[in-house]
Amino acid sequence: MTSRRVFFTFEITEESHLLHAYRERGGYQALEKALREMQPAEVQAEVAASGLRGRGGAGFPTATKWSFLAKGAPVYYLCCNADEGEPGTFKDRWVFEHSPHQLIEGMLLACYALGVRHSFIYIRGEFDLSYRRLMHALKEAREAGLLGDSVLGSAFSCQIIVQQGAGAYVCGEESSMLSSIEGFKGYPRNKPPFPAVKGLYQAPTVINNVETLATLPWILAKGGAAYAKIGTEKNSGTRLFGISGHVQRPGMYERAIGYPFKKLIYQDAGGIAGGKALKAVIPGGSSTPVLTAEDIETLTMDAEAVAAAGSMLGSGGVIVIAEGTCMVRLLQVLTRFYAHESCGQCIPCREGTAWMNKIVARISEGRGVAGDIERLEGITTGIMGNTICALGAAAAMPVASFLIKFRHEFAYFIEHGRSLNDGRLEIKI
Amino acid sequence: MIELTIDNKAVQAEPGETVLQAALRNGIEIPHFCYHPCLSIAGNCRICMVRIKGRPGFHPSCNLPAAPGMEIESDCSDVNAVRKSILQFATLNHPADCPVCDKAGECRLQDYNFKYNGTPSPSIEPKRRQRKFYQINSRIMLDRERCILCSRCVRFTKEISGSGLLGIVERADQSRVERLEQGGVEDPYSDNIIQSCPVGALLSRDFLYKSRVWYLEPVASVCPRCSRGCSVEVWRRQKQWQLRAPGADKNHMAYRISARENPEVNGPWLCNQGFDLHQVINDSVRALAPRLAGAESTLQDALAAAQRLLFEAEKPAAIVSAWGSNEELAAFKSALGSSLTVYTRADREPEAGEVVEDQLLIKADKNPNSYSVEAIFGRRPFAADAGHDVVLVWGDLVDYASLGSAKVIHLATLEPAAGRPAEVLVPISTMFERTGHYTNFEGKVNRFEQVFEKPESVLHAGDLFGRL
Repeated sequence: MTSRRVFFTFEITEESHLLHAYRERGGYQALEKALREMQPAEVQAEVAASGLRGRGGAGFPTATKWSFLAKGAPVYYLCCNADEGEPGTFKDRWVFEHSPHQLIEGMLLACYALGVRHSFIYIRGEFDLSYRRLMHALKEAREAGLLGDSVLGSAFSCQIIVQQGAGAYVCGEESSMLSSIEGFKGYPRNKPPFPAVKGLYQAPTVINNVETLATLPWILAKGGAAYAKIGTEKNSGTRLFGISGHVQRPGMYERAIGYPFKKLIYQDAGGIAGGKALKAVIPGGSSTPVLTAEDIETLTMDAEAVAAAGSMLGSGGVIVIAEGTCMVRLLQVLTRFYAHESCGQCIPCREGTAWMNKIVARISEGRGVAGDIERLEGITTGIMGNTICALGAAAAMPVASFLIKFRHEFAYFIEHGRSLNDGRLEIKI
Repeated sequence: MIELTIDNKAVQAEPGETVLQAALRNGIEIPHFCYHPCLSIAGNCRICMVRIKGRPGFHPSCNLPAAPGMEIESDCSDVNAVRKSILQFATLNHPADCPVCDKAGECRLQDYNFKYNGTPSPSIEPKRRQRKFYQINSRIMLDRERCILCSRCVRFTKEISGSGLLGIVERADQSRVERLEQGGVEDPYSDNIIQSCPVGALLSRDFLYKSRVWYLEPVASVCPRCSRGCSVEVWRRQKQWQLRAPGADKNHMAYRISARENPEVNGPWLCNQGFDLHQVINDSVRALAPRLAGAESTLQDALAAAQRLLFEAEKPAAIVSAWGSNEELAAFKSALGSSLTVYTRADREPEAGEVVEDQLLIKADKNPNSYSVEAIFGRRPFAADAGHDVVLVWGDLVDYASLGSAKVIHLATLEPAAGRPAEVLVPISTMFERTGHYTNFEGKVNRFEQVFEKPESVLHAGDLFGRL
């Protein structure tokens, strides 16, 4: 399985997360090269040349994000967003469990490029093995002189501070993550000011995803131009796709951007479980709009192409839904999640997510009434674009897309009080 | 100055001002719940959303820095559609019990709902039931069903009073305002959160169910309970809603006190002592009848007796009140200042348990006009051993024993303590029965209006000095 991977090319063994294994596969050479031969600006230029885009979900160009940092501040911070809470997404966990040093090296490179002395990893509270492996890797790196004061004997010093989350999905939103690191309740902040101007402890802060940072060592080792050759023209590189749901072989697959969806589902993941037909795909984590089987017929895994199809590639968590699944019940799982995870700060999200959940739950209990679909649509338009952070839209988008793509199932459930399908989410194999 | 337009009206904004501030300062009403000029920006109510011409989406104007050339649309159909849906969310679990809510009539949620929503809720779900009469402290109750979690109260106790009394706990639709255990035991400014609550969630136990606010009207006044002299509003019953017997005493009652915004003195805040001022007005036992050595007399006789005492005195003295207005002090000086030895006195001393002084508003001098008294007469406590045979005492809470053997002419608003009666007692009006000015400890002059008619049997002190 390693052959298809591009940047995460190693056999997964019991020891692949350890420092010696990482060094054997060329680890920390990029850091050494950068510290000895390159100026911070050159590191930034290399990242800009690679065309690397953020892997957290929004897909913003990394070098551009870095360039927004307010100039002339006495202190800068880097935060690695590892609060991977999006249902269907498990790529960061994979990095932590199998190659934490890759992230550490990437963070050190980013810190060197940006002049950061203290960087933070905000790791999801539920990650246990990930947390232990990360802490062990940090200990190894510190003992090997790769982290801390004068990294590898150079003038560059950098600390990595790990903060565990406490189980709130909303803390994956960058500004609430900063609040949480500072010890406050995980409430998203109003923008402006943006984190690049006033972020952690009011200092300019860059927030990058785990996968983004873990890609930096390769870019620095092989050059940005080499990276830009992989993937599509506008979207270079690869993505870690976590495929889950009704497939034969769910798991992590690293594929170049532009890879066909169908190939991933039918070839790599072994097709639909139980030999059923494909019904729908949620392409980038639970908050992205759902796509039908027809939508993905020729679709490639590329942010622009998926956006043209009316959805988002998001965090790369592909959820595959087989024929016979009740979309009403499935949506109820999602609305319940978002109603539970809304931080409760702003009115539209706090009230809207709970309201949508009540209506969808009522429909899925067979107590839907005429007008519920229109009511739900009204709520989604009321939420979208009117909230402090993106959680409101993340909750509204699946509802809106389910209502467009599978409206007949909702209408049937409301009219007959039972599901058009057998009403189960799991399928028998 | 930053030039921008709001609804095609040219507006100037100060550097650092937000669009909402610029709009409000220029008389353009943008609805808002959570924004408060003296608190941090929370941006959680989302009703102040506006559009920027040429930019997609809606932006909360409370957090939108005014920029040159910005074209803001705050009164167009799609902005109003956003307001409407926000109000539908805000009222989703709101009990809509305006008929029994004290805030009705001065409630932002009610006003905006009528103005921007106007349709019944599209929801058919049962409303969420929550705790109705949650006791925040001995003065305040919280109705959680009415709360829209704008966090003004939480921010006030964190940022202004510093007591940390309140916080929002839990998340999503379980979020609620809760009294925090680690918070200060008592917050001497807690009543401000009632006034700044944009809905009827925080209720004054004192004012609870006392009156509908539309029967009342505010009168600009000054709080006399310390030398800060905060601007307040005294709420009295409106003329057209006067009651006939029974209950006519309500016509002369102060219903409640609210802080009147005055950036030079108190900002928008007031301390709990100030919020209790109406109790002082209503409950004080007034001196209403003139007395001669304890026996009731007429005003004419009392004044004649006082005149005679002063005329016959060998060494007459006077003590001026630190509760007198600037006008009264001037009248006293021109009429009696040269013929009497003038002493000064602090009428009211801090009571047991009262906050003496703090960093925010409360001052140690519990009298409103000590500044003017000192400016005109200096600071001279009465000397009992100076051999005065007659003393004209102006002001309340006097212990006659401290005046030695001198004969006392007392100008009082309150019934003096039992014991040796004054030779002459002349009842005078309180500050709420006349118009005047106080000068606070910083020298800021603040005007108070007449709230009530004076009783017929009392005199204004300012009219009286010339007749002595």
